[in-house]
Amino acid sequence: MTQLSQIDRIVLPQSGWDEIVSHCRRKLAGEFLPGESEIRRAYGILAGLQENGEIKIDYVLPVKKNARAVEPLKTYMDTVMEKYAKPSKTPMGQRGWITDPLELKECYEVCDQKDLQIFGTYHMHIVAWEGDPLRDMPTVLDTVLAKNSNLFTFIIAMVDESNPSIKAFYEGKSEQEVPVVIEPV
Amino acid sequence: MAKIIIPFPFRRYTDSLREVSVETNTLADCIEALIARYPGMNSIQDHPALLSIFINGKQTKEEWNAVSLTHEDEVSLIVPIAGG
Repeated sequence: MTQLSQIDRIVLPQSGWDEIVSHCRRKLAGEFLPGESEIRRAYGILAGLQENGEIKIDYVLPVKKNARAVEPLKTYMDTVMEKYAKPSKTPMGQRGWITDPLELKECYEVCDQKDLQIFGTYHMHIVAWEGDPLRDMPTVLDTVLAKNSNLFTFIIAMVDESNPSIKAFYEGKSEQEVPVVIEPV
Repeated sequence: MAKIIIPFPFRRYTDSLREVSVETNTLADCIEALIARYPGMNSIQDHPALLSIFINGKQTKEEWNAVSLTHEDEVSLIVPIAGG
């Protein structure tokens, strides 16, 4: 089987793209589900099937919880963010996200039951930066946190909420972008 | 033989196997045996603070040497995924 680092393209059905965008917009609007961390960030897991050099995303799993404030994960995230995060007015403790281990375990179990492979995670960028108005590329922090993950980092650019876009980067490396094709249903 | 469930991103180190069985008495032996068989699995310890271990679905935070395992136990290794 082709290594994920050698994948040529990723196919995302329109329904999956709609689900991702809907998740991002809901979180941006401050609408939260029961048991969901009340933060205006959206991130989730993408799973599917691989055939030779192509991945097809068949399953979108929005992640509900953020374990950013739970030790020992908090200390790890604080350390990484202090070193690599771009300065911001947002307090450090409110930046970054990390999956709750139990929720991630349950995600893995669901994917195993469905015989799907996990290919990566998505999260949104919502604030334009000087010299980076679209925010459709991984940050240094994204790359550091995805290092050796053997997963794709999918960036959902939501600076213009009415015109979102998606890009995929193997292990969050900007030089390893793989085209994402949104396939009409 | 305890059964170890391998997390997705680490299956590249176990020939794509979802689970691996090892002869073991303790959790420490279990992890050691896993890494001995699949050396790439050592990377689960790259950031010890990130590794969560579940035994039969319940998270354990005890010292690995203090956790006894039987042949019926299922060990899940989880390394959280993070982003900026």
